[in-house]
Amino acid sequence: MAELVLDGVTKHFDDDGDRIVAVDDASIDIEDGEFLVLVGPSGCGKSTTLRMVAGLETVSGGELRLDGTDISDRAPADRDVAMVFQSYALYPHMTVRENMAFGLEESTDMADDVIDERVSETAEMMGIEELLERKPRELSGGQQQRVALGRAIVRDPEVFLMDEPLSNLDAKLRSTMRTELQRLQENLGVTTVYVTHDQTEAMTMGDRIAILNDGRLQQVATPLEAYHAPANEFVAGFLGEPSMNFFDASVEDGSLITDQFTYPLSEDTLDDLGGADDVRLGVRPEDIELVEKPVGDHDYAVTVDVVEPLGDENNVYLEFDLDTEGEGAGRTFTAAVDGTHPVAAGDELGARIPESAIHIFDVDSGVALHNRERDPDEQVIPQ
Amino acid sequence: MIDRIHEAVRARGESEGDGDARTDGGTATVADDDAGSFFGSVSRDFLGSLPFWLPPFALMGFFVYGAIGWNFALSLVNVQQFNQPNYSQLDFDQYLRAFGDPSFISAAQNTAVLLVAFTLACLVVGLLVAILVDRHVRFENTFRTIYLLPMSLSFVVTAQFWLWLYNFDNGLVNVVTQALGLGRYKWISNPELALGAVVFALIWQFSGYAMVVYLAGLRAIPDEHYEAARVDGASTLKMYWRVIVPQLKGATISASVVLMVFALKAFDFLYALAGGFFPPKGTDILSTMMVRQAFSAGNRSYAAAIGIMLFLLAIAIVAPYLTYQYRRGEL
Amino acid sequence: MNTSDLDGRRVGLYAVLFGLVAFYLLPLEIGLVTSLKTDPLASLPFAPPAAGSFTLEEWGRAFTALKSGLVNSLLLAVPATILSAGLGSMAAYGLTTLQWRGQVGVFTLFIAGIFIPYQAVLLPVSRFWATYAPLEEWLAVLWLLPGLEAYHGELLSLIITHVAYGIPICTLLFRTYYKELSGEMVEAAKLDGATAYTIYRRVILPLSVPMFAVTLIYQFTQIWNDLLFALVIMGPGDGAPVTVGLTNIGSSLTNLGFGVKMAGAFIAALPTMVVYVLFGEQFAEGVAS
Repeated sequence: MAELVLDGVTKHFDDDGDRIVAVDDASIDIEDGEFLVLVGPSGCGKSTTLRMVAGLETVSGGELRLDGTDISDRAPADRDVAMVFQSYALYPHMTVRENMAFGLEESTDMADDVIDERVSETAEMMGIEELLERKPRELSGGQQQRVALGRAIVRDPEVFLMDEPLSNLDAKLRSTMRTELQRLQENLGVTTVYVTHDQTEAMTMGDRIAILNDGRLQQVATPLEAYHAPANEFVAGFLGEPSMNFFDASVEDGSLITDQFTYPLSEDTLDDLGGADDVRLGVRPEDIELVEKPVGDHDYAVTVDVVEPLGDENNVYLEFDLDTEGEGAGRTFTAAVDGTHPVAAGDELGARIPESAIHIFDVDSGVALHNRERDPDEQVIPQ
Repeated sequence: MIDRIHEAVRARGESEGDGDARTDGGTATVADDDAGSFFGSVSRDFLGSLPFWLPPFALMGFFVYGAIGWNFALSLVNVQQFNQPNYSQLDFDQYLRAFGDPSFISAAQNTAVLLVAFTLACLVVGLLVAILVDRHVRFENTFRTIYLLPMSLSFVVTAQFWLWLYNFDNGLVNVVTQALGLGRYKWISNPELALGAVVFALIWQFSGYAMVVYLAGLRAIPDEHYEAARVDGASTLKMYWRVIVPQLKGATISASVVLMVFALKAFDFLYALAGGFFPPKGTDILSTMMVRQAFSAGNRSYAAAIGIMLFLLAIAIVAPYLTYQYRRGEL
Repeated sequence: MNTSDLDGRRVGLYAVLFGLVAFYLLPLEIGLVTSLKTDPLASLPFAPPAAGSFTLEEWGRAFTALKSGLVNSLLLAVPATILSAGLGSMAAYGLTTLQWRGQVGVFTLFIAGIFIPYQAVLLPVSRFWATYAPLEEWLAVLWLLPGLEAYHGELLSLIITHVAYGIPICTLLFRTYYKELSGEMVEAAKLDGATAYTIYRRVILPLSVPMFAVTLIYQFTQIWNDLLFALVIMGPGDGAPVTVGLTNIGSSLTNLGFGVKMAGAFIAALPTMVVYVLFGEQFAEGVAS
């Protein structure tokens, strides 16, 4: 049983008298056995947050609680956490067996034979038993990664901390390890905090994801919730590839007026806006439908600018057909359509932006005023 | 397995209570209890590091900084061979005395000549040799090892060799000059020539050092820079002068600092050359003068003042270098 | 540029490189042949001894004169080298791998210590050992033991002095090395429950072996070669190291005794030369950083 609570955790560095805030008032309750992914662009404070949990950085404000006990001031060794580093940080002069035994030798009073047995069992579970007598430099990247994981698992900690553990692997191995790591975590049931900048890892691995930007926590939610009901414009833009299309708009006579088009809104959507005048319209590329000719209220005449075939789907860059050479001329936006959909540069067709799929954000605060409709039966667990 | 592991975890929890009494973690635990939350970890690392650097620091600090302070105090009083220092009367008389002393002036001049001529010549020779060695030659490491060999020898040893090489009757240098029709010279006992002869011998001993430093600098320059210069049509000479040499600024700075420090320590060489406290005429430098005043003439306060001035000279050379290194984040 | 042009350049390059080999090695060659001649003035300095004038007598005389100096130098250089390297490694660990505010300031004091001209400390140091810490008297009871003599007290003072002044350069060498070690590895050890002491003993020290080789070789050469401290702290007594003995061999500005001088120079230089030939790479690495 280990429930990890970050309560208003703050970190600031002093740089020649200037105070740089790396993490600002982050509060997350991580349940026992939960897999939480911390995600955000580089420099957003996700690694700093993880290092504070590990005890490698001091906490400038707020509290860290493990099962209700404040651990903010404990030494790393006394926190009962194990960490997997991006570089794996294996001890180069020790064999795999010695690497794995080191933590048990240093932090417990276990007898040597008990340690040895536990190392062997864990190695067997990880499928690295035949590597035990080798030195790290004799291992491939994937094997080193496995040893680093094994070294964390053998200590049987209350919390696993992982700092971009898969980022040094090639793409194929990374996806294998992703699944394996998830399965392992589920079987062991150990509370895990996982830092990554890779949104595929974030979307597929976590029970919940916490999105950070500029040291501030933007949203903590299940991956699908964050994807479909983003708390703000940053989350909406950060998750999803290609990213969401945004259009600045003003609200006039029940419609959104942009530089390129006018988008009539229903009563329900208008209610959500709460009388805001300037908003930003967001729509995900995969929600845009391509039709032969614009017919409905939400259909617009467009010309295909560029097609990026990805195999299973095509990214299509579209340009609005405008009557005037106004400010909005030349603006392209992206639609993602099925790979078999016949479309070529120069095609003139219609783009449909269904009202059920749009997001509307406040221009100043970025807060989501309206999110897309969601299927109530939709699966909670991603994949 | 998990059950067994949990058992082990419980066992560990109990043992941890005893663990706090361990001595090696003791300081950290104390710091943790006393300090506030913010300073807890900072002082933990600081206190943990003390046992490692403080003993060496204390030993080094006593002998280096303590001794310099003591030496400075000594330079402010007037102690000769046998009297005790009287610290109630401090003045800068010894420093004033130095500036009125012709032998101090000439030693200072010699020191300056040695510093500049020796350092510059070593840098030039070292750079040229490094460029040659860096041209993908075979047995490169052997060449490098041979060129650096003299540096591994003691000043006392090389002084013996050069005494013989500079010998009037059958030294190699005179054999060569005579063969060239230039005649024989008393290289060491002629005050006009002695300093130049000493500088030449020191260049022989230390140019290999400059070569090694430059070679490391050349190695750090990516091959693309040579290739880019070639593609741009630069001649070999131009390529080195305009593309490569400017990139060796760091190597030049660190090599010159170290060479100057070597030059200040040339005492051993001059002492061994003369077999005593009086170096050959025309080669007296501040290092030899200080030792002579202190341990032969018995003018201890005067010697201390010369020592302090040498120290200031070293600081003047090294301080800008350390500042430069610090700015580049290399300290 | 055609091939013969290129070949011409290569030949020129190698000619210069071999010329430099002659420049750096000729003084040693001359020293060696001179030490083997009965009359160094009778033939060209670099010519090998002629059939009738070959002698090993000078080597014998030099060895007799320097024998005790060699032993003293060994007793001095070996412990002083090991101690200064060990303390330098410790200091570098405390100032690099363990991170705390202000460590750069302390480290700067270490570094400045490398560049101190010894003349600025000679008087206090000689005074300190002669008057305030006369180890020879303090440890008087030890000299009753077989194999120990009173001058070993002076040697001990000299060892401590060399250790103190060797710490700065050793600290610098180790710090440069420790900065390259992975910070994540040390953090991993911390999370594994290792204390500052066990991280040093079980992680850092085993990884320092290559740097110890560099430092030990460099320090050994420095201490073996030193004359100044030996001269000032102990003078030409029973405990004098070989460098002091060498300055007293032959008379300096006359033509007499060049054979014995050269032989003595080689004998005094032999240990450092052997170390250099065996570990030239490490020595080069030591001086380059």
